[in-house]
Amino acid sequence: MTARMRKSTFAICLLLIVSLVSACSSGGTKGNTDADKATNNGAAATSGASPATEAPSAKKVSITWWNFPTYQALDGEVGKYEKEIIAAFNEKHPEITVNLEMITFEGGPEKLNVAIASNSTPDLIYDAPGRIIDWGKKGLLAPLDDMIPSEIRNDIAEAFWKQSMVGDKTYMYPINTAPFMMAVNTTIFEKIGAMELLPLDRPDRTWSFEEYKAALQAVKDKATDVIPSVFFAKSQAGDQGTRAFIANLGLTTFLNDDNSAVAINTEEAGAALDWIAQASKDKLVISGAAALAAADVNDLFLQGKVAFTINYSAVLKAQNATLKKAEFNEVLLPFPTLDGSPPKLEPYLGGMAIFDNDDADRIAASKTFIDFVANDPVYGSKNLIQTGGLSVRNSITGLYNDPEYEYSELARQFIANPPTTADGWAEVRTHWFPALQRVLLGDATGKAALDDFAEAANQSIANGKAAQK
Amino acid sequence: MLVTLLKSRRLVWREWLVSYLFLLPALSFFLLFVAYPMLKGIYISFFDFTLNKFAFVGLDNYAALFQDKYFKKSMMNTLLIVLIAVPLVIAFSLFVANTIYRKSELVRSFFRGVFYLPAVSSVVSITVVWASIYDPNFGILNYLTSFFGAEPIAWLGQPDTALYAIIAVLITTSVGQPIILYVASLGNIPASYIEAAQIDRASSGQIFRKIIWPMLMPTNLYIIVITTINTFQTFAIVQLLTAGGPLYSTSTVMYGVYEKAFMLGSFGIASAMGMILAVVIGVISIIQFKYLGSDVEY
Repeated sequence: MTARMRKSTFAICLLLIVSLVSACSSGGTKGNTDADKATNNGAAATSGASPATEAPSAKKVSITWWNFPTYQALDGEVGKYEKEIIAAFNEKHPEITVNLEMITFEGGPEKLNVAIASNSTPDLIYDAPGRIIDWGKKGLLAPLDDMIPSEIRNDIAEAFWKQSMVGDKTYMYPINTAPFMMAVNTTIFEKIGAMELLPLDRPDRTWSFEEYKAALQAVKDKATDVIPSVFFAKSQAGDQGTRAFIANLGLTTFLNDDNSAVAINTEEAGAALDWIAQASKDKLVISGAAALAAADVNDLFLQGKVAFTINYSAVLKAQNATLKKAEFNEVLLPFPTLDGSPPKLEPYLGGMAIFDNDDADRIAASKTFIDFVANDPVYGSKNLIQTGGLSVRNSITGLYNDPEYEYSELARQFIANPPTTADGWAEVRTHWFPALQRVLLGDATGKAALDDFAEAANQSIANGKAAQK
Repeated sequence: MLVTLLKSRRLVWREWLVSYLFLLPALSFFLLFVAYPMLKGIYISFFDFTLNKFAFVGLDNYAALFQDKYFKKSMMNTLLIVLIAVPLVIAFSLFVANTIYRKSELVRSFFRGVFYLPAVSSVVSITVVWASIYDPNFGILNYLTSFFGAEPIAWLGQPDTALYAIIAVLITTSVGQPIILYVASLGNIPASYIEAAQIDRASSGQIFRKIIWPMLMPTNLYIIVITTINTFQTFAIVQLLTAGGPLYSTSTVMYGVYEKAFMLGSFGIASAMGMILAVVIGVISIIQFKYLGSDVEY
């Protein structure tokens, strides 16, 4: 009896063990294939009503909108502003119900992946090209070309369209932008009497590596309780900062012009990485960068504990306004370049996309909503201001009465082709921060780490390209 | 006679039916949320399942994992964490329980509460606190070691220290339940056994080895098996403190599952990783049952 009991207890325990692990690892179900989706996309595009050309249908439609905290929280309540948009939209389109679900930058991407894998995607998403174009390439989105009249298409720079399209189809409706830059706490420089070391007397604020190093040294010498600058390599988040920082110090770009191969593995970029590793030891750059995330170093910046942060923009400045723990003045700066030449900045680009959920009515209603968010006479500019970003439209300028926004407008001239639309981009990113960690931890020289990164990343790009076929 | 037999069978049938009806709610949940995902996980592990693809690949996912140096590294890290953390959790819990179980109820309750607190606290909150303790620039740990002339250390930023820093956090969150169970089990050992041994001039070590340890075997078995399973599935602490870095030095299999499935959308590979981990845990559990369960009297 005891033996039987033991055997059954043992069997139940084993089943539970296997269940526990497998329940954690199961990814959900998948129904449609890419081929099905691709076919459906075409159908949806042709059957979806164009809000620019057709009157809204009286048919009641319910759509779901998942939103990252794209808009600054109203009265400190995340999602309150989005509800205000929906209320205003419903005054014009009472037949369309918009169900809002707020997602976070931390958990949202994973939630979206699970939703895609389990065929439970929302109708609408406000996101950036990195993810949207990947979904577009995988045939998960509805094309938006029929809702973009020529006057709008011609009013937006080609660089933005390039990031919003796959082939000749538009999958993201671009709305707001801002170049990613670095930022400096000028209050520290005022205190140590070193304002002249910053390039603020130049209208375009461009500066050289040597000038940057002199500024860091001044902070180290005169403001001993402040960390001169930051770096981070814990994870993918905010990696546009590390990419652009090294690429500019190395006078190169992250990928080549057509995003088909890595270009950052130059001698100069390798030397820049070596300098960062050494500067960390010399206390010019924060120590422990291998275990710090972008959010960690920006938190320190907002606490007034570091002089420079390398992952900032007008949008982040606006979003961080309520998170500042110390009184100080922050100013946007372009990344320094090895020789002081104009930098190449990656743009933040935000826009909306529609998941193809095989329902022409929902796709049409989603397009109507996007049109309202981007182009409504009242809410179009109001929404832009609430993002803290600039308009992608050339004709819409001067939204803010703020010198930093004026500078952001000016810095748009430095925006270069971003790598985020490359094939296999999600996998390319996974190779980047371990490469940085290797250099920071003395495991490899900058050039060797970048060469190894290039080899792995080029393979990922090739794999991504092959997966499209 | 026949009527009595039929009545008896009807009673047995009714009892059987009622028993299963009572089991039905729990069984339904088990089948829906545990057994079904488990079987689905096994099924998916044989497919190339990504965001836009679902194609049968047989054992390719498993073959790819055995060639994957990062998976091997994650498995080794996981085994190392288990080998270090589980014995330390057991030893520390037993030491604390043995120290406090004969104290007054008030003292026992205080220590049980203190050590159980991390078990009922949010792992995210605990990890945030530890992140600030380990902070290389402003952390209290470096501040304390500076009194001994030590240079600041990036505890989570160095491959040599990061895994041990993770294990330390893991131990603090794992000892609560074992301490409670050991205190209860120690309290159930009849005092007369120990008194008799003391009269026979048995040393403390002999009493522990010959009386206390054997009497604790059922509790030991449970704690060791459960702690081993939980430790094999270390994820949240790693994700929050190091994201598997630096240089994959803290990457665990469960973190790899998360990374592959939820960050890269490779659900087939992730399921295969989960299955391999399940097999490893299953084998180790069999060994634990075989060697630790032989003397257990239920």
